[in-house]
Amino acid sequence: MNRRDFLKNAVVSGAALTLPLGIAPFLSMAGGADRPDLAVVRGASPALITSVAVNELGGMRRFVSRGDIVVVKPNIGWDRTPEYAANTNPEVVAEIVRLCYGAGAKQVKVFDNPVSDARRTYKQSGIAAAATAAGAQVSFVDERKFKDMAIKGQFLKTWPLYTEIIEADKVINVPIAKVHGIAALTLGMKNWMGIMGGSRGRIHQRINESLVDLARFVRPTLVILDAVRILVDNGPQGGSLSDVRRLDTVIAGTDQVAVDALGTTLFGMKPDALGCVRIAHSAGLGNMNISRLRIKRLTI
Amino acid sequence: MANIRRFSQALFLLLFLWLFLQTESKGANELGYPVKIFLDADPLIWLTTILASRSVYGVFVLAVTAIVATALLGRVFCGWACPLGTLHHLVGKLKKRTAPNKQVFLRSRNLYRIKYLLLIVLIIAALFGVQLAGLFDPLALLIRSLSLAINPMFSYALRSFFDGVYTWDVNFITVGSEYIYSFLKKTALPFSPPLFLQGIFIGLIFFLILALNLREKRFWCKYICPLGAFLGLLSRYALLKRSVSEDCDGCGACRRSCQGGACLPGSPDGAIPDKAKIEAKEWKGAECLMCLNCDDPCPKNAISFGFSREPAPAALDLGKRRVLSSVLAGMAVAPLLRITPLAKIGAAEPTLIRPPGALAEEMFLKRCVKCGECMKVCVTGGLQPTFLEAGLEGIWSPVLVPRIGYCEYRCTLCGQVCPTGAIRKLNLEEKAATKIGLAMIDKGRCLPFAHNMSCIVCEEVCPTSPKAIWFEEIRLRDRQGREALLKQPHVDLSLCVGCGICETKCPVLGRPAITVTNLGESRSKDNQLLL
Repeated sequence: MNRRDFLKNAVVSGAALTLPLGIAPFLSMAGGADRPDLAVVRGASPALITSVAVNELGGMRRFVSRGDIVVVKPNIGWDRTPEYAANTNPEVVAEIVRLCYGAGAKQVKVFDNPVSDARRTYKQSGIAAAATAAGAQVSFVDERKFKDMAIKGQFLKTWPLYTEIIEADKVINVPIAKVHGIAALTLGMKNWMGIMGGSRGRIHQRINESLVDLARFVRPTLVILDAVRILVDNGPQGGSLSDVRRLDTVIAGTDQVAVDALGTTLFGMKPDALGCVRIAHSAGLGNMNISRLRIKRLTI
Repeated sequence: MANIRRFSQALFLLLFLWLFLQTESKGANELGYPVKIFLDADPLIWLTTILASRSVYGVFVLAVTAIVATALLGRVFCGWACPLGTLHHLVGKLKKRTAPNKQVFLRSRNLYRIKYLLLIVLIIAALFGVQLAGLFDPLALLIRSLSLAINPMFSYALRSFFDGVYTWDVNFITVGSEYIYSFLKKTALPFSPPLFLQGIFIGLIFFLILALNLREKRFWCKYICPLGAFLGLLSRYALLKRSVSEDCDGCGACRRSCQGGACLPGSPDGAIPDKAKIEAKEWKGAECLMCLNCDDPCPKNAISFGFSREPAPAALDLGKRRVLSSVLAGMAVAPLLRITPLAKIGAAEPTLIRPPGALAEEMFLKRCVKCGECMKVCVTGGLQPTFLEAGLEGIWSPVLVPRIGYCEYRCTLCGQVCPTGAIRKLNLEEKAATKIGLAMIDKGRCLPFAHNMSCIVCEEVCPTSPKAIWFEEIRLRDRQGREALLKQPHVDLSLCVGCGICETKCPVLGRPAITVTNLGESRSKDNQLLL
């Protein structure tokens, strides 16, 4: 049993005395009815802050039931190593996989439809190795599993989407926070581009509306925004360490609009400055009013 | 002994095929296996590259080993190791057995000279700076044919079969087939379907060469293969020789089992040479593949192979006129191929985007042996064989076609597998600093310019930091007169490396709104734009 498992079990069993001092405050919330809408946890260990953030929201058992097939969808879009912050942090992904299995998931699948060559992005991002070690079934997308789906959105009427996402019992979105040329930022909703097939570059003509169409169609059980490292320049791909800021933070929540709304503040923006958040909010997909949300902030 | 030889052939063929399959990225920037050792060990490629480029390159231990082995043991490479030879051997099994008498008649006594004359042409051409050996070299030919035609063919066939069963979706069968399919995907099948321009022609040529075995077993090895000719010349003083004892009655059994055409006794009319006993001096050592086939069928057990210091068998006689003609033909190759304006500054084919690390065009052509290794290993499939973009001299050399696939920014595999250093092995810093061309925007097609529509996919995918593609935010009025903000892309030519991902991913399909040409490529002194 490693430290992580130990902590996890300790939280579950309420063995508060064995925990590091910093975590003690949140224990009063664990299992309580007064759950926060968003958990923002900061700390040096990506795996630990992920696990604590999930526990803040009520633990993975709240989201994943015994026997579930869960898709954990990170951003594995680019041929970059983790320190360049172009892909989701591999430790965050691996920890979520572990938490899912801990909650009784039957199978956890991890995949993305990357922009760069998939073999390289899976390997260089460190995600394939970390998620596989955590027990996930990591696979490259299989072209045959893209099926035209009636999205019935404002702009996306039908589009080939990856069937494994649609067929999964639970979907957990694990994006990384980055700047982006046309969308300004790429956070949670933008991460759904990774389940699109076809000539998906076309959606940039109406990026925000298209992302909201997608987000309405694919509703995640849980969103965990990785801000361990964020990309502040040359997004979404980066390429220089000077493009990266280390925030050692994750933001977890069930409302994908709320998570993205809070994500904008990491870059010093207002939620309504991000088109897809604004549109999703007014479409009633979620809540971008941060002031109205219960936000639990912790530093470990 | 023949069984040991068969075992060796199988081993080398399997090793060759296995290394061929390993010539594919697994995600790391190294392959982990010495995938080009067969080409490294090829003395013909070694010699002609040195002659053409007038420089020594890479590892030569293996090539020298092959030369020494041949000088001592004869053409053991052909009989025991050459993967193409083994394939010929296998296809030759399909040939209908002909009557003993007829077979001799079918054999053309002097065709074997062709390969020597071809070798002379290739070597003389190399002396004058033209590298054409790769077109005929059996290893380069085999790797090229497998990479660009046979592997894609198998991949296509298997994929469509398994896709068919998958769509068919019958419970047990589909589950089983998917299981086999996923196993194949992990092992033998390429990661993404390989598709190559000219694949069909390269495939047809390969099948034609294999089909020659139906005319005569190992037709290629006997009559065409310049590597075989080269090794034949080297084997002139080999110590391993065949000897025939006095018991030989000239029955011709050895001749019928001969793989290489080394036993050509008797008269050409096919009569059993009862008088002309098969004697050692009639054994053409240079043609012998050392397959040891003749040892077994000899009814008198008169044949034996062993080391001896006896004087070499009769020297190869090609005929002075033929040799002279070949030399002249070899001399004509360079000027004939180079009376093309392509080499003039600014006249080169702009779409001839060479892989990163490629030497300057003139030297590149002297080194490239058109083996197709770089195209096999290219992760995006963008490296394609040229047709005449680089002149006939450069046929089947690699060109990046961004519409098909771009150059992955942090990948240096093509330079790692190039056997002759035509593409240099780069490290990641060098790679990032190597321009293979420049991207330019076609404002008549680009959505933000021509149609006032939002896009910027090119900026998103641009891999350099800072990005070579930047955008200018402009205010404009749409058709209804409403004011709108729009981002219009521009290429910073000093930052662009020409990787072509912008062209590959441009949503304006068919004729993209941003295209790369080789203008500005680092390897050229003249093909430059910026001050």
